[in-house]
Amino acid sequence: MKISEIFKLSLEAMRERKARSALTIIMVLAGCGLMIALNGISAGQSEFIKKQLNTLAPNILFVNNGQRSFRGGGDTSQTPSIVINSIVVDRIKSLPYVSDVVPGYQAQVTLDAAGNVITSSVIATDPQKIYLVDPSLELIPGSSIQPNNPSAIIFGDNVANPPGKSTPFVTLGQTIRATYNYVDQDTGKQQQISKSFVVTGIIAPTGNNQLDRAVIINTASGDSLFNKGGKFDQMIVAANSADYVPAVQNEITTLYGTNIGITTPKAILEARERFTSGNNSFIQNVAFIALFVGAIGIVTTLYNAVNERIAEIGTIKAIGATRLFILLMFLFEALMIGLIGSTLGVMSGMVGAYALSSIGGPRPGIGGGGGIGFQRPIAPEFIPNDIIDVWILSVVLSVIAGLYPAWKASGLSPVLALKR
Amino acid sequence: MSDNKSQIALEVNDITKVFATKAGVIEALRGISFVINRGEFVSIVGPSGSGKSTLLNIIGALDRPTSGKVYIDGIDIFSLRDGDIAAMRNKLIGFIFQSFNLINRSTVQKNVELPAIISDMRKQERKRRALLLLESLGVADKARLKTSSLSGGQQQRVAIARALINNPTMVLADEPTGNLDTKTGNEVFDLLKILSSKFRRNIILVTHNQELAKKTDRIIYIKDGIIEKEVLN
Repeated sequence: MKISEIFKLSLEAMRERKARSALTIIMVLAGCGLMIALNGISAGQSEFIKKQLNTLAPNILFVNNGQRSFRGGGDTSQTPSIVINSIVVDRIKSLPYVSDVVPGYQAQVTLDAAGNVITSSVIATDPQKIYLVDPSLELIPGSSIQPNNPSAIIFGDNVANPPGKSTPFVTLGQTIRATYNYVDQDTGKQQQISKSFVVTGIIAPTGNNQLDRAVIINTASGDSLFNKGGKFDQMIVAANSADYVPAVQNEITTLYGTNIGITTPKAILEARERFTSGNNSFIQNVAFIALFVGAIGIVTTLYNAVNERIAEIGTIKAIGATRLFILLMFLFEALMIGLIGSTLGVMSGMVGAYALSSIGGPRPGIGGGGGIGFQRPIAPEFIPNDIIDVWILSVVLSVIAGLYPAWKASGLSPVLALKR
Repeated sequence: MSDNKSQIALEVNDITKVFATKAGVIEALRGISFVINRGEFVSIVGPSGSGKSTLLNIIGALDRPTSGKVYIDGIDIFSLRDGDIAAMRNKLIGFIFQSFNLINRSTVQKNVELPAIISDMRKQERKRRALLLLESLGVADKARLKTSSLSGGQQQRVAIARALINNPTMVLADEPTGNLDTKTGNEVFDLLKILSSKFRRNIILVTHNQELAKKTDRIIYIKDGIIEKEVLN
């Protein structure tokens, strides 16, 4: 029995019903493409988070005043605030295995650079200590860190050079005006404080979203601009090494209980992986359902084809075709629909993933900060083994879908078929 | 005796066919027995519902009898496995149907080649045979056309060519002229006659047409599932 000849007969049958075959292929394409796209986006996001975390020093802990924290172990409960002041800073500095503590203020500030206005999160901390967070951090040529200059301001690359814009927001040496809005606690009225700064440094792109969107002034300037009265919003705690991070976390928790929020890159990663695995399962299920719908489409198409071609099946059996011949004729149709649909699905899924991921919005950063700025889209990641797995699954499902109609066709009585 | 046996192309032995339907049990055939010698052109004639098409389907192994045996070239065909029966049908029997039963999406040549494709004949050989048959049947110029563009008579010629491509011993024709006008029907019948007389093929023709039946070698009259009489022409 020549397989190639049976294949040609199947191809002829598909060509006879071009529109129906095309629509069935599209169903398979949609299911496969959705799976590829969602996998790619999910893998891209995981890779993005990993890259963000890899740029951070492994020995740091982000401590804040008891907001929702990543403690690991699934504990993401809301905790009451603690006032982080110099006493708390000194206390934590005295703990074993702690090499440094860098307190800071943070607030949303309106920045006006020669008429261009944006709102950004500004961190007030010792600018020399940014190397604690990312030891490989570099500043562009001409930059300088001036920790004692109350007018010095440092910008991350994404703020200084917004993605997609042809002109920079700020350049070195430029004067900008920062305005902080707050509600006066005594009068209850909206108030404003403004201050001028000179751009003394621009951070070269780090790959870490948080650092690339950072705007940094020194601690004293922040205290006066934000009217914090010495109450810090956060601290960066540096352990002696990455091995001591759990111990330091323990010490701080022992000291302050759940009244303080602690975030470590490892805990973020663990929480992310828990979320990702749950999210991935959901995504896989959704995509599988789409694939399954495509398979149902094949069953429907072939079932109709069998019913329409009963007389033809009877004739072919009468001239000597075996059950296997008829079975293969219809199975090959299902296989071709699967092959074409899956292959096109992989390609469209990859294109779709890029399209979907470029429809972006504000993405939270990693490292205890926040802020809204210009966001680069997160590129999807395509793992070759995953793509092959999805392609194979899609093709196999298509063939399985074709089994019942093919079996039905092969089992038809030639006499009854010829009577149709 | 052995000479006699070697002359027998088909032996039908006490065939009975019973259908169980919602209306009850129907005995379509009862104790049918006859032999056909090599090269004979036999017609089976009877009114509608007499069982002639059922008999043809059993002879062609498209259907199994409730009891009885059919021997083609001395082989008890219903003792074979399904796959072997299909192979036997492919190689020893050619079918011609009233409605031609061609595959409309395929070309004339492809339709003729189909039994040869099933029998795994080499591509060159089956092409050669197909074109030769089409030429001898006067439709070679239609080889590349779709069968739906042919007239009824031309389609039936294509069907005859398909039935002959594997050089079968026996050709079973179920009302081959039923959908054709008289002139075309006569032309088709004449082709069958040549197959029988010149090429020594066994032809079994099921027909209502008494005029055509009288031109065959023998007529088997069937009524209510039994052989009423056999007439030598």
